[in-house]
Amino acid sequence: MRYKLFALLILIALLFSACAQATPEPPAAEPPAVEPPAAEPPAAEPPAAEPPTSQEQVTLTMGSWRVDDIEQMNRILSAFNEQYPHISINFDPTNPPDYNAVLRTQLEGGTAPDLFYLRSFSTSRQLYEEGFLEPLDDLPGLRENFSEATLSPWATEDGLPYGVPFIAVSHGIYYNQDIFNELNLSIPETWEDLLTTAQTIQDAGYTPFANASGDEWTIAEIVFMNLAPNFIGGREGRLEYLSGERCFNDENVVAAFQAVADIAPYLPAGQEALTYYDSQQLFLMGEAAMWFGGSWDIPFYESEAPDFGWSVFAVPPPAGNEAHVTFHMDAGMGLNATSQNKEEARLFLEWMTTPEFAELFGNELPGFFPVRNNPPQLANEHANAFLSLNEGRGQDVRWAWPVLLDGSPDGYTLMQNGAIAVINGDMTPQEAADSLQDGLAQWFEPAQNCQ
Amino acid sequence: MSQTRAIKLKKAYQWRMPRWDDWSWGLFLLPALVVYTVFMAFPLINSMRLSLYTGVGLSPDRFIGLGNYIELFSNPIWRDRFLNALQNTFIFFGIHMLVQNTLGLLFAVLLSSSIKGHNLYRMIIFAPATLSVLVTGFLWRLILNPQWGALANLLKSVGLESWVQPWLGNPDINLIIISLVSSWQWVGLPTMMFLAGLLTISDEIVEAAYVDGGTAWQVFWKIKLPLLVPTMGIVAVLTFVGNFNAFDVVYAMSGVRGEPGYSTDIMGTFFYRAAIAGEHPVAQPNMGIGAAVATLTFMILMAGVSLWIYFSRRRAYDQA
Repeated sequence: MRYKLFALLILIALLFSACAQATPEPPAAEPPAVEPPAAEPPAAEPPAAEPPTSQEQVTLTMGSWRVDDIEQMNRILSAFNEQYPHISINFDPTNPPDYNAVLRTQLEGGTAPDLFYLRSFSTSRQLYEEGFLEPLDDLPGLRENFSEATLSPWATEDGLPYGVPFIAVSHGIYYNQDIFNELNLSIPETWEDLLTTAQTIQDAGYTPFANASGDEWTIAEIVFMNLAPNFIGGREGRLEYLSGERCFNDENVVAAFQAVADIAPYLPAGQEALTYYDSQQLFLMGEAAMWFGGSWDIPFYESEAPDFGWSVFAVPPPAGNEAHVTFHMDAGMGLNATSQNKEEARLFLEWMTTPEFAELFGNELPGFFPVRNNPPQLANEHANAFLSLNEGRGQDVRWAWPVLLDGSPDGYTLMQNGAIAVINGDMTPQEAADSLQDGLAQWFEPAQNCQ
Repeated sequence: MSQTRAIKLKKAYQWRMPRWDDWSWGLFLLPALVVYTVFMAFPLINSMRLSLYTGVGLSPDRFIGLGNYIELFSNPIWRDRFLNALQNTFIFFGIHMLVQNTLGLLFAVLLSSSIKGHNLYRMIIFAPATLSVLVTGFLWRLILNPQWGALANLLKSVGLESWVQPWLGNPDINLIIISLVSSWQWVGLPTMMFLAGLLTISDEIVEAAYVDGGTAWQVFWKIKLPLLVPTMGIVAVLTFVGNFNAFDVVYAMSGVRGEPGYSTDIMGTFFYRAAIAGEHPVAQPNMGIGAAVATLTFMILMAGVSLWIYFSRRRAYDQA
């Protein structure tokens, strides 16, 4: 009997709290009718739901692949919480290599976070097309504060945005200032200068470049796609490949692969088995004088070796070519289409378009650049060094990301395999360019006119 | 009269209603049967069913018959990867059979001869098997690092700098090295099984052989080894199954793509990319193809194990 009463009480308490969420007032009169032995535990439940104001506490979860940024993101999110005390956001990142698959599993299982980081271009486009992402065309502040080009990595072909542009990363060549001073080197202005510089460094007994192919993606993303815009003519040049005006094995692409071959003799001994981490250490320990790298490593070097004197210069173009920087649109923020708290999540997304957020974010995470129009002044010296590379140079995203990932074999893998084969001497630059052209021609129509 | 009654009685005995006792054994099987069905048989059959479907994401929903298998064997992108992974897995298995199991037998024989401190040796040999593969794989990766690895430093300190190689970056040898590391780690298991096999060999037979003038070598070769054949069969099958399901050692030592250039890609890593992780940077898995790969792996295992069962049964029958 006692048990029945107990169960009934729990049931009523549950009903009560459920109703309290939907319609605040009416059921409040009911409980006393069956309340008498109310000394029991369930009595604790109704009060929890008692202040049913419109400002109910909401906790959102945020998915990400940035496991290194937990502390910084929590500070940013608590700044948001100060302005919107009723919304707290729980930052819950996943290991980067597993992120896409984990997110997809969560989305299909209905357990995905309310807000989550979006990869740029086709990966997220597919999520949108499958209905997992809320369209954001009516988000206040979005179109006003971001350019069409910035929005496009997270928008449909007709320009309907489904993500707030969030993070851009830049690329360049890190250099050790002590070694450059010691050897009296200046910043190379042309690709040819760079090779001369590398030779001088090698003759002095240092490793010129710390880069290695043990982690294959590094060759694709931070070597090949870092230098390529200077050889293929930046964004305009890239669009000509996508429209079919140029072939993927033309002289410019051969020259880009030749550039990879040029630096091969200047890579560390045993580079075939050295990982990304090894490269970082080689540069950090002063054994290597330069390293093709991305801006996301600024915090790593600053925290590992605060006194280490390093800066960055842009990959120099071959003499006569215009200079370009790979300024890649890396992450946007998306809203789960099945989120229970869309209204609150939208408030956060709206906040992400403000100058306040851009400044906070740019300074909390140096090396990740806000992509808002009129970017804020950053405090970090290295971040500013990276940003200054954009001045007077064309900018483009990493070559393989737009469109070329949409088929199989994808442009990324082809570029990666080609560049590594060139480094290891298994292919000539011409053969690497040919394999890129042949591979893409298997599915990419504009490339099929080139046979 | 009495005869017919006896027959009747017998019939009655034979055809009586089944009683509780006759079926009680089923009750004892039930827990295992339920667990096995829910956690083994059902997923297995469901994964086979999945291999006949296609679609994006976790629950492919479009039936395409054998389409995934046709894709796997006709599209050069999939076919090359699959055949490469299959070949690498056989090499991986071959090295384990050759190194791990031969060494296991050797160690077992030495340990059973009660050499001084054999308990210590037994512990040392078995110790790596108690560590996580991810840990040992990562440690070996550090040891083999050509820039600051322990092995490179050792070679440099004795003036053999030219011997330092990017061992794990050389597609000609890295699969062999990874297989050797895995053999090193697991050599304790066949050692224990062979040791147990050796201990069951009756002393009388061995002593009789010595009395008859047999040498230690003859005793091993003519008496112990033949009696170990059933153990060898079990060890071989376990190695076979373990190697075709292997994933972690390659994952720890060269990544899920079997870098460089898929030279260490085995069935486990191939399946992981196809069904779970996808290829960087798109990372879009294809569950249907993945399930097809899993089903093919299962069939290879099934064929191997069936072969073993057939031969071991025939052996038992011949001996009987």
